[in-house]
Amino acid sequence: CTNELDVTPKDDDEFLSEDFYASTDSYRQALAGIYGNLSLTGTTGPASSNLQGIDAGTSQYGRTLWYLQDLAADEVIWSYENDEGGAVKAIQRNTWSSSNTILLGFFSRAMFSVALTNDFLRQSSEENLASRGHSAISSEIKTYRAEARLLRALAYYHLMDLFGKAAFVTENDPIGVYQGPEYNREQLFTFIESELKAIEGDLVGANQNEYARADKAVAWMILAKMYLNAEVYIGQNKYTECLTYCNKIIGGGFSLASNYSYNFLADNDYNEAGQNEIIFPLVVDSKVTQNWGPTTVIINGEVGSLEGNAVALGVDNGWGGALRVRKQFADKFLNGDVPLTDKRNTLTTEGREVEIIDVGDRDSGYIISKYKNIGVDGSRGGVHFEFVNTDFPLFRLADVYLMYAEAVVRGGSGGTMGEAVVYVNALRNRANSTTITSNDLTLNFLIDERSRELHWEGHRRQDLIRFGLFTGGNYNWAWKGGSPNGIALSSHLDIYPMPANNMAANPNLTQNPGY
Amino acid sequence: TVTEATGNSALPGVGIIIKGTIKGAATDFDGNYSIDNVKPGDVLVFSYIGFNTQEITVGNNTTINVVMVESAESLDEVVVIGYGTTTIKDATGSVAAVTEKDFNKGNIVTPASLISGRVAGVNVTTDGSPGGGSAIRIRGGSSLGASNDPLIVVDGLPISNSTAGGSRSVLASINPNDIESMSILKDASSTAIYGSRASNGVIIITTKKGKSGFNVDINFKAGYQTLADKIEVFSGDEYRTLIADRVAAGQGGISIEQLGNANTDWQDAIYEEKFTFDQSVSVSGALFNNVPARVSWGNTKQPGLRKTSNFERNSLTFNINPSLLDEHLKINFNANISSENNRFASGVEGAAIYFDPTQPIYDATSPFGGFFEYHTNGIRDNAGRNPLASLLQRENTSIVDRLYGNLEFDYKLKFLPELRAVLNLGYDRSYGVGSNILSTESINGFRFEEDGVVSYIGEESEYTSERKNLLLDAYLAYNKELENLNIEATAGYSYQKFTAEDFNTGNMRDPEAERDTNTHPDVVLLGFFARTNLSFMDKYLLTLSYRRDGTSRFNSDNRWGNFPAAALAWKINEEDFLKDSNIISELKLRLGWGITGQQDIPASYAFLGRHVTGDSFSQYIFGNSAVVVGIPQSKFEDIKWEETTTYNAGFDYGFFNDKIKGSIEVYLKESNDLLANVAVADGSNFSNAGWQNIGKFTSKGLEFAIGSDIVSTDDLNVNVSYNLNLNRTEIDELAFGQDIEVGGIGGGTGSRIQVHREGFAPYSYLVYKQLYDTAGAPIEGAYADINQDGIINTSDRYIYKKPNADITMGFQSGINYKDFDLVFNLRASFGNYMYNNVNSSRAQYNLLQDVTALGNIPTAVLETNFVETANVLISDYYLENASFLKMDNLNLGYTFNKFNSDISSIRVWTGVQNVFTITNYSGLDPEVFGGIDNTIYPRPRTFLMGANIKF
Repeated sequence: CTNELDVTPKDDDEFLSEDFYASTDSYRQALAGIYGNLSLTGTTGPASSNLQGIDAGTSQYGRTLWYLQDLAADEVIWSYENDEGGAVKAIQRNTWSSSNTILLGFFSRAMFSVALTNDFLRQSSEENLASRGHSAISSEIKTYRAEARLLRALAYYHLMDLFGKAAFVTENDPIGVYQGPEYNREQLFTFIESELKAIEGDLVGANQNEYARADKAVAWMILAKMYLNAEVYIGQNKYTECLTYCNKIIGGGFSLASNYSYNFLADNDYNEAGQNEIIFPLVVDSKVTQNWGPTTVIINGEVGSLEGNAVALGVDNGWGGALRVRKQFADKFLNGDVPLTDKRNTLTTEGREVEIIDVGDRDSGYIISKYKNIGVDGSRGGVHFEFVNTDFPLFRLADVYLMYAEAVVRGGSGGTMGEAVVYVNALRNRANSTTITSNDLTLNFLIDERSRELHWEGHRRQDLIRFGLFTGGNYNWAWKGGSPNGIALSSHLDIYPMPANNMAANPNLTQNPGY
Repeated sequence: TVTEATGNSALPGVGIIIKGTIKGAATDFDGNYSIDNVKPGDVLVFSYIGFNTQEITVGNNTTINVVMVESAESLDEVVVIGYGTTTIKDATGSVAAVTEKDFNKGNIVTPASLISGRVAGVNVTTDGSPGGGSAIRIRGGSSLGASNDPLIVVDGLPISNSTAGGSRSVLASINPNDIESMSILKDASSTAIYGSRASNGVIIITTKKGKSGFNVDINFKAGYQTLADKIEVFSGDEYRTLIADRVAAGQGGISIEQLGNANTDWQDAIYEEKFTFDQSVSVSGALFNNVPARVSWGNTKQPGLRKTSNFERNSLTFNINPSLLDEHLKINFNANISSENNRFASGVEGAAIYFDPTQPIYDATSPFGGFFEYHTNGIRDNAGRNPLASLLQRENTSIVDRLYGNLEFDYKLKFLPELRAVLNLGYDRSYGVGSNILSTESINGFRFEEDGVVSYIGEESEYTSERKNLLLDAYLAYNKELENLNIEATAGYSYQKFTAEDFNTGNMRDPEAERDTNTHPDVVLLGFFARTNLSFMDKYLLTLSYRRDGTSRFNSDNRWGNFPAAALAWKINEEDFLKDSNIISELKLRLGWGITGQQDIPASYAFLGRHVTGDSFSQYIFGNSAVVVGIPQSKFEDIKWEETTTYNAGFDYGFFNDKIKGSIEVYLKESNDLLANVAVADGSNFSNAGWQNIGKFTSKGLEFAIGSDIVSTDDLNVNVSYNLNLNRTEIDELAFGQDIEVGGIGGGTGSRIQVHREGFAPYSYLVYKQLYDTAGAPIEGAYADINQDGIINTSDRYIYKKPNADITMGFQSGINYKDFDLVFNLRASFGNYMYNNVNSSRAQYNLLQDVTALGNIPTAVLETNFVETANVLISDYYLENASFLKMDNLNLGYTFNKFNSDISSIRVWTGVQNVFTITNYSGLDPEVFGGIDNTIYPRPRTFLMGANIKF
């Protein structure tokens, strides 16, 4: 009876892959799985993880991205520096090394998107559809496949930005222990660019897809961002191409929400921001999409140690002052550049010192309340108040306006200074701030304005690098380099080191210079 | 007729053979036997396990009555091994047997405690919780990622290491009073017959069986559990002074106004010194005057030190061993029913250390059941929670029923009595039912908000859990004695299947909770095995064994593994040059080699392409609808057996007519193709890590045991025994030379303190090197720049020490003076280090500030004056030498022999469990399995008394 050794899954949540794909519904579930990797960390709730070597909650896509883009820069500081064995501390003090688990977490999480897409593309091939008798849904599957490829391109875009390289694996490579070749920034840039252009025709029109599913505008957004940063990535000026894609998005039927704050509220999936301004969100729901992702962390973290403002932010208790802002960020609102009435300014300053002398002293430093687990109507989101309903706006129209302006200022063609001023003022008017003229529209203005508009949205490190302010000593912020007043950083820190364990498992990967 | 000396009752099943021939017989139930064709001058050899073998030369009498003498010495020597028995004298491998009379005494709740410290190379780390599991390691284990637990076989039935939900531990349901002996098979030549499951050694538990003669045995034991030690924190008064000092020194976030007026010792509040009881009755004898049977009942009540904690076990065992067909068919039936009744008390030690000692336990105005809690108008504040309320307001209970046993048919062929056919059918099923209810008065409950009104509605969940294990073993055993050569051969087949299912309601008071049944994958193991023991001139012994095993865990190309073993023994003392020695009474050289396998990993079918769908919390939202996600699972098609090759060499020795005896041996275990959950190249699989065969691991060591009856007179007997194990484990190779970080600690989400790294012991500590000022005080946050790159970051962590001991020792002594007996045992461990996570994550001044309250901290802060946890958490300062010497038990008894005509003896005794610990470790207890001390369930010091009555 050696057949007894052939055991198969018996649980109602687990299937042999061929049994899973027996149903036509499974393609939608598998696609939801690829999207889900941007929000979920596992299949059995927020404490579960498909990854290892990092705490489950911390391994969330948006959260690690937010750590690497925002915590590493001038906008925010995390109080509990002992988390992840000091890895979080090293990120926010710019003292990371290749063994940093946050780096491992993001690299693996993004590469998991690649693996999920590759599997989906294999499973949904024409031959497989035909052999399973699913050819009837092939036109719908075609859209799914384009979205899957977009999510893979998005993952590679983030890897290219953060690490400057990645293992290149496609649906044509084997599953298992295959070690993908290393693609450098240029190769990745070329791949993402061609891939996004290739799938453009199969994607649903801008702002036409179901909420949270990607459409053409998301592909354009990634392209626009790559072109804006092309000098950093590949040493080429691509501002004109950036403007081409900004124009496409702006013409894609999006509009600003009437109120800045709507972008960051519990109902930002269906309020006017969700409907019109947010181009691509990372979904969270306190009931069905529970995670310890960026908005859960931010809103719980915004609750002050002194203020006890958890209820006002729509959460249960909050985390006692986990997040505060650095002085240089507070100054962007307080140094007179904008009036204190600017709606984007959510700083709480009363009873607090702006300086953070001791990172562990959660009573020092200003706090903000940009994100809330409260809807437009003032009601709290969900039943589980430790988790939130507020989606993370990965891409939104306001960013496109500022990108447009920057590409114009940097000399791209296809846009005008006049339009640029109109777009910037649209944001400032909405915020109840002062308006600007074309004379004001300089690079120095834009880097600060981006922070005022887009702070804590996962853009800051990339922006500072593009402006040459991240490393070097031209702009020092509190705790930059681990010093209370900030010190100059070596330029090799513009790119993160390849995480050691990921490199060990794939000897094709090489370390970045300086590490 | 053959009778036994003590009870003068008939002895069935005694083997009788005419020396030098294969002719023989066995006694029937009345002890009668007959042998044809016996000539005067023939020598009859009478042998029976547990009795001295007798040789009687046949004269002219046709009736020879024999009285067999039970020998304490020979009792020791019988060792149950896989699919058979042997004796210490004939053993070729490294086996040790501990029988009832040598078992540890005292407050023994689970079987593993019976042998703790008794056998060289066997380390048992018990748990402080009542009925809690013990970590058993034989020769340091053999695996990095797969199981390091030995295989436990109860009456021929290998049991699973997976417990049903609600059960304290796999062995919690077995009453130690029912155990006759435990055999420990340490080297591959003795374990390889269990092939795939033998890499970590085998413990064979044999339960007591019925004998002829009516015997009743009653045990009664009562104990009083006391708290041996507490973690030192500031008392209420000290704390008020401390806060005043710190405020004066400028520490922010705390104020004197937050202090209360009480003096509460929160650790005292959560513990309760309680009585324990244990009683058992067994009756054994012969049913219908012919069928040996035994029945026993046992009841254990162990409340545990934490308030509300409770463990109660009722066990009923029954066995019957009829012999049919003229003694040719022996049937052995064991049935055990046990029921565990548990109430679990959650670990509130951390909260008790941290809770402000100036606050009272109770608060009459509190809406939370009258317990003091931090709240604002009934809305909980972000602060610590009253640890006593956390205990008392939760009712986490379970009942686990277990039925296990086996039915064995042992048939001796009529026309070829040298050949036996054995069929063993085993069954083991545990079924747990539990519920976990948190009072609606608790501040920790589920917070529900409706129409702006917040209420706490507690928690309520229920679960069931089932674990099942079916066994079929069938084998043939052949035994033939030729002139100068004794042949034993065994060959057979084994089938075992494990199934498991859990159901949980989730929190039923949460409208969004999910109920789910989790059906675990079946695990099926098949094996074909063969073994031969050759004994030449009773001097040269050879054992060869072979097992071919199949597992459902690997794909069809990899699932079969072959596990051979060989051992040689030479009884040097039987040689002419030693035969007449007055000094050396025994000297046996043993050499063994063997390969065993390992497949016991959590992944049940990693080689299959699978998809898992998300639960109700793990969906993604498209538009307005939630879509259950479907995620492909990691796939490792080529996963295969981990193989351990063991070499063993040793001497068994005896001096002065075995007055001093013992053994010394060395071993080397090399594990190849280690199974471990390690990194895989990103993008090609559905995780960043998974179960792969990735490296090499060695464990080597030396074991030494010596024992002696130093004084042996009519009135006074003193015996001592000592054992020593030197062990060293090291990772030789890990795929790609990667580090595997392990050892999660408290004090920071996702922080880990240990690492598996090539060239080091597994679970070595990976820490920063603390710098000290000229006065020798540690400087907060100042670490050595190990890689000298000018920055202190995670790359500066270095490996410092390891949790496993280099040397472990056990020492026991028994003293009998007239009718008094005194036994005690000592256990020592050297070179084991402990990460004091209690201090590393708590003893810093900034923790005086809880978010909206004050928090207490260990007084260890006074030695460092550390302020910020994040600066010091990973410092090697918190690694401490945790070597220790412990007296586990001291027991004094008095026996009334021949009490009266009905009662044959009464022994009354008193004792102390967990008598003392000598250590430099600053924490509560130097014995924490895994080497990370982040508060433990304290091991109680128990004062005991009891009586044993025999009829």
